[in-house]
Amino acid sequence: MPADLTSLVHWILFLPLGAAAFSALFLRRAGGFAAWFSTAAAFAVAGLSLYVLAQGADVRWHVELAKFGGVSLGFGYLLDANARLMLFVVSFVAAWIHLFSVGYMQEDAARGRFFAGLSVFMFSILGIVVADNLLMTFVYWELVGFSSYMLIAHYFDKDFAAAASKKAFITNRVGDLGFILGIAMCLSLYGTLDFAALKDHAAAAKTIPVTVGALLMCGFLGKSAQFPLHVWLTDAMAGPTPVSALIHAATMVAAGVYFMARVSFLLAPEVLQFIAISGAGMAALAGLCALAQTDIKKSLAYSTLAHLGIMGCALGLGHPELALLHMAMHAFFKATLFLGAGSVIHGCHHEQDMLRMGGLLKKMPLTAATFVAATFSNCAVPFLAGWYSKDAIIEAAWHGGHVAIFAFLSLAALATCLYSGRMLRLVFLGEANSEEAAHAHESPWTMTLPLVVLGLVYSVAGGFLASTLLPAGSLQPVKPALDAIAFHLAAPSTIVGLLSLVVGFLGALKFYGSVRGADALQAVSPRTYHLLEHRWMDGLYRWYVDAVQRRVAELVAFLDLLLINGVAGRWVGGGVPAVLGYLTGRSFHRGQARAYALWIVVGSLFLAWFLIAR
Amino acid sequence: MDTFPATLLALAVTTPILVGLILLAGRDLPRGFASGFAFGGFALPAVLAPWLLVLWSDPATAPQQFQSVGFWGFGFALNGLGAPLLAMTSLVGFAAGVKALDQEVEGRNTYLGLILFMLGGTLGVFGTNHLVGFYFFHEFALIPTFVLTLFWGGEGRRPAAMQMAIYLTAGAMASLAGILIAVDAAGVEYGAATFENVALGLQNAKHLPAAVGALVLFGLGTLASLFPFHSWAAPGYSAAPTPVSMLHAGALKKFGLYGIILLGLSSLDITGGALGSWFLWFAVANVLLVGLICLAQRDLKQLLSWSSVAHMGPVFLGIWVCGVTGQADGLDAAAFLMVAHGLSCAALFLLANAVRARAGTYRLDELGGLAARTPVLAAFFVAATMASVGLPGFGNFWGEVGVFLALRAQPLWLQAVVASTVVISAVYALRAVAATFFGPASEALEKRWAVAPFGDLGWAERAAAGVLLGASLTIGFVPSLVTRSVNPVAAGVTTYSQHNAKAPAKAAQPAQR
Repeated sequence: MPADLTSLVHWILFLPLGAAAFSALFLRRAGGFAAWFSTAAAFAVAGLSLYVLAQGADVRWHVELAKFGGVSLGFGYLLDANARLMLFVVSFVAAWIHLFSVGYMQEDAARGRFFAGLSVFMFSILGIVVADNLLMTFVYWELVGFSSYMLIAHYFDKDFAAAASKKAFITNRVGDLGFILGIAMCLSLYGTLDFAALKDHAAAAKTIPVTVGALLMCGFLGKSAQFPLHVWLTDAMAGPTPVSALIHAATMVAAGVYFMARVSFLLAPEVLQFIAISGAGMAALAGLCALAQTDIKKSLAYSTLAHLGIMGCALGLGHPELALLHMAMHAFFKATLFLGAGSVIHGCHHEQDMLRMGGLLKKMPLTAATFVAATFSNCAVPFLAGWYSKDAIIEAAWHGGHVAIFAFLSLAALATCLYSGRMLRLVFLGEANSEEAAHAHESPWTMTLPLVVLGLVYSVAGGFLASTLLPAGSLQPVKPALDAIAFHLAAPSTIVGLLSLVVGFLGALKFYGSVRGADALQAVSPRTYHLLEHRWMDGLYRWYVDAVQRRVAELVAFLDLLLINGVAGRWVGGGVPAVLGYLTGRSFHRGQARAYALWIVVGSLFLAWFLIAR
Repeated sequence: MDTFPATLLALAVTTPILVGLILLAGRDLPRGFASGFAFGGFALPAVLAPWLLVLWSDPATAPQQFQSVGFWGFGFALNGLGAPLLAMTSLVGFAAGVKALDQEVEGRNTYLGLILFMLGGTLGVFGTNHLVGFYFFHEFALIPTFVLTLFWGGEGRRPAAMQMAIYLTAGAMASLAGILIAVDAAGVEYGAATFENVALGLQNAKHLPAAVGALVLFGLGTLASLFPFHSWAAPGYSAAPTPVSMLHAGALKKFGLYGIILLGLSSLDITGGALGSWFLWFAVANVLLVGLICLAQRDLKQLLSWSSVAHMGPVFLGIWVCGVTGQADGLDAAAFLMVAHGLSCAALFLLANAVRARAGTYRLDELGGLAARTPVLAAFFVAATMASVGLPGFGNFWGEVGVFLALRAQPLWLQAVVASTVVISAVYALRAVAATFFGPASEALEKRWAVAPFGDLGWAERAAAGVLLGASLTIGFVPSLVTRSVNPVAAGVTTYSQHNAKAPAKAAQPAQR
């Protein structure tokens, strides 16, 4: 049995890579075929992943790629319950997003490149899921960063896309710098990079150095867009909407959470505490910032930041299973929200400003229905997918006696209901606020079918499906955690959640209905709006790049030219021979390069002869 | 092993030289004949040398000892470190040759002949384990480099060629003095002065003063653009004609490192004492200061030239840490990076020239939006850039990461400074990609397009770049192709280096080999 599954994992991993290579080499001009080819590969991978999930057997497999001295560079798979769940979530969501993209990218001239990029991404993210050691995780980690870069830069002739792709890659690399140092430290301390062996070492050791976890965490901060490396995610919305849905909402940013759960045994309590507090803060703050965005995708991006904060918080509270559960649920409803946004953008002829939408409920009923369902899941309405995971995390904070974190998370829950209500009000209710919205149309079936599957089936019934239909899989590892915090309908978290829902959601619907064609908060309190809209960290980084980095670089370049090339090289290095040359006469120095070259040849031949003949 | 591979090796080295001689002698040879002939001179090594690497990386066929065959008093011999470098050089040479054949230049036959000399000389350096052969071929490759830069170079070629000649001649003198003293002290005849014999001889000899190590390290370090002896490098690569930049920055500079490893590290204790500290600081400067200088560049070819200097920093540090810890992993990684950098760096010079041929400039502020007109060129350039910044899948990744891991027992600040290259190189490389290819088309480009529309990457350029990137991907996916060949030599050099050090290294962990 395990041998069978190993070969299945080979297929799951390398099918997308093969599809990507084939598309890039042969299907550059055959975009339509590339689209269906990639999509077929994605559905095949999803099917195989579902089979692996249903089988419920662990896979361990390892080969050595090369040796550097005594260090073995290995390639292998470690497929445990968490990995199987992640594998299924990623490939299932990805398959439907591929199908959605077939419709969404219909008019795009560079579809071949786009789908090749999606397939490279699939390979990389699935690699992170199955990797059995830190080094291979880092390999896929970097490849995920690359595919994200290429897909954000899809509309490369636009300046904002060029800038956003660069920013995403470089910000992620800052995180990766810490990550690779953490890997080196693990190798130095434990002599291995293998997850299983590391776990044994960590269990045997009394304490884990804080530095190890802190450095590994840097990778998570970059990839999952956590403070202070969160700045790239909202800009990354410059990519096509399916990319935002798949990479920058459902899967890649969640990879950081998955990785932290994978190495949770290497995280010292101090590191966990930091992740919990910064995650909770991020959740509240990003949720509020979503209120100050008029671009529908950017508003959703802030929502993603908030949910990533919640997942981080669960990790920090010592509940990696809950973090993964929320990652899975979030993947479904956030993918639906982004695809819904894509459908709306497509229907409104590429209008992204929510203030110019409105009244789309009647014009795009299927999109609206799924969007509303996913929104309810996002707001954690009881018994919908989001409720199982998000309120459980809030409950865990309460149960663990972390009052501040509980407060931040409650604020985040309120903010979620506020921006969700605002979004529904501005986009789907009221009257059309522009020509584009007035002439909106429902999207083709390739786009609405994924919405229905991901939105209605999974966002709404996700928790039920996970707990009943797939007994071997998903919810089982989470059960003990849920039981431990005694999570149920009358728990404090649910009460807070329901209050937020009533106050926030209904309040937002009413408040944002009060002003037409403008943002109500901006109209009422421009200062608050500005405070939430302004990107303070971006300003700080821009100042660093312009005022510090650039000036230092230019100064170093100038000093190199002046001191090393000029003073040392020309005056000293050139002056001494010049004086010697003047003293020994000018007969050889006629300024003819040919003569110099000849002398060099003669000299070296003479020298060679001398050495050999001696 | 029979003598068959040795014959292959001799063929791989001598073919370009003989073809070069014929082209130099026959300046008036008909164009078609000369082209075909030159192509053979470039192509044959590119077939033979990778084949040799495959043999060397297979435990069943790899030689147990250095193989050599007598030839004019010094031996052609291929060791496990030379094998991948020979293969890399042959591929870079092939790509450079394809590019050169594609160019329209005055004195075409002489031009091609001199490039073949460069190639043959470089192959010779990696195809010998004899110090005299090493020195001879090193000069043999450098002289045509000066001449080619001087007569066929671009803007600023005269001062660049002169500066390069002065620096490299001074470096060669210094290293020659070091070599002569080392051979003498080892007590071996020049006829038998292989790297290994010198290392063995020095084990039993009186310890040499550190100055000898300094002569070799800084002499050969000049060739490999070690800070602060690097001033010649960026102008030199920039001013040279493209095939020469490719061979010089890609392959030639690696023989400085080859000598530093096989003579300096194994025999002359270059990582010990005060000299070791200087080595460390200079290597760190290569990473950090030259990295910062890269950030200040405004010209695509200058940027590539400078980044080629910066990328030597991790190689030097891999060599350094091997001497300090007495473990071979740093050296294995450094060797890997030498091979991979040769491929990616040559590809970038080739593709940058393709940019200039179309946009008419290397200036980043005048470039922009080229990807819409030349998508294939853009794809190749992005791939080569990703290779150079160490994206997994390409060979450079294993080299860079291997060096970072080899530094694991060093102070965290040192590791952080060295690893900062992953951020710095990404910043300048992606900035260049965005400035050249992304965004709307620049005004200058629009004007040029209106006058003379240009095509996408031609087949010759595609083939040349494809060979280089394909090779980088191959060793990226199958790193054992390089490491199996290098491992035994790296282990041997490490052992010698510990014997020949004043104070044997305090190994952080027991050696695991």
